Amino acid sequence: MKPPGLAERPALKPGCRLSPASNPESLLLIPEGALRLHGPGRRILELCDGQHTLADVIDQLQMEFPSAEANRIAGEVVTYLSRLHEKGAIEFL
Amino acid sequence: MIAPPQALIAEVTHRCPMHCVYCSNPLEMQSADRELSTDAWTAIIRDAAGLGCFHLHLTGGEPLSRKDVEQLVRVARDAGLYTNLITSGLGLSRARLKDLVAAGLDHIQLSFQDSVEETANAIGGARAHAYKLRVASWIREHRLAFTVNAVVHRHNLDRLQEFIGLAEQLNADKLEIANVQYYGWAFRNRDYLMPTRAQVAKSLPIVVAAQERLKGKMRIDFVLPDYYAKYPKPCMGGWGRKLILIDPAGRVMPCHAAGVIPGLQFENAQDKPLRFIWEQSDAFQCFRGDEWMQEPCRSCERKGIDFGGCRCQAFLLTGDATATDPTCSKAPERSAVDEAVSKANRDDQLNQLPRGDWVYRIDPVMRA
Ligand code: SF4
Ligand code: SF4
Repeated sequence: MKPPGLAERPALKPGCRLSPASNPESLLLIPEGALRLHGPGRRILELCDGQHTLADVIDQLQMEFPSAEANRIAGEVVTYLSRLHEKGAIEFL
Repeated sequence: MIAPPQALIAEVTHRCPMHCVYCSNPLEMQSADRELSTDAWTAIIRDAAGLGCFHLHLTGGEPLSRKDVEQLVRVARDAGLYTNLITSGLGLSRARLKDLVAAGLDHIQLSFQDSVEETANAIGGARAHAYKLRVASWIREHRLAFTVNAVVHRHNLDRLQEFIGLAEQLNADKLEIANVQYYGWAFRNRDYLMPTRAQVAKSLPIVVAAQERLKGKMRIDFVLPDYYAKYPKPCMGGWGRKLILIDPAGRVMPCHAAGVIPGLQFENAQDKPLRFIWEQSDAFQCFRGDEWMQEPCRSCERKGIDFGGCRCQAFLLTGDATATDPTCSKAPERSAVDEAVSKANRDDQLNQLPRGDWVYRIDPVMRA
């Protein structure tokens, strides 16, 4: 699968959503089950609303995690979302 | 510590307007007058969420035979659960679907009996195919996950390509192609349902090619008929490991077929908390771990993968629920499976859709 472009807007696919914030554990609920979210995973997915572009998501995370290296954040966001795209949990609009 | 179940499978009713010859419901179905009330299901759903479940599968029978499914979806959503409706589509109108989505339904699985109307209706024992097509188009008016369930067997496996085409045309997110498993009514009709070796061999490359072609568009899951497999499937992900099932009368079971095993006592969800039933009741404890296993399972390196296969199938085929699942090539009683398979590959008469000979599942009527 080709890597997503920076101008594309990631969104959770229909039938995929984050567990309620009140849950003790942070999960991405999908038709087949649930994925445990670690580190900034939940924050990344909150931004995948079909409004923000991939570039916006990266900018936002770089802002929120100023101590981490900017390039590394960009790479990790892209890898993370590509992986979820393959699992069918994310689409790019 | 015993990890909590991931999903609650709520068999809310055994009533169904379809009469599929492969229905996995038990031959002894729960009648309508024994079904739990809305309040009872509400309490159970909340209890399951508290226990740690994150999915609720509403199934049956046809769950929509009940009028309160919308309400149960809302309860589940409020309790933090992800909800999936497994339906034949009968009982669903455009308006009702809208209400279900508004209540928070996340995923719908719609079953089809064939890609061709005539056989589809003959297998399901109801004129339902055309209506299902309409239901599918309504589903795509909403943002929820949509899976097409294709149940395959001897009389439709040759049209697998067309079946995949149908799911594509309906714009499904996912296609689940499941070979019939021989429990309940399907066990009664097994000889007529079992595909030939040639049919199975032909189906595999079709699935693989479609998976490749539809990557990123529609996912395809394929369940092999286990009579043709080398090793059994880890049934339900292992006894009492991932799933908890509650039947229409509130009996709490490790799997939908467990009722066939004599001597198992099922607790009722109305009497005891689910946590107690899950962690301590005999029905869940009896086949956990490997204490109960016989050889060759007990010293087999695959016992952590398939847990010795399916207990219900072991019982159905050998009369002993602790036996190695005879679909395993190492099973001492593999001959039970081999005989069925060789019959399926020998007897050409089974290729005709049987008249009179096979058994349509009946609808559990009110036994008042
Ligand atoms: S398999 Fe057919 S008859 Fe059985 S519950 Fe499903 S739709 Fe109804
Ligand atoms: S012998 Fe038992 S554990 Fe080993 S593969 Fe067969 S069923 Fe599984």
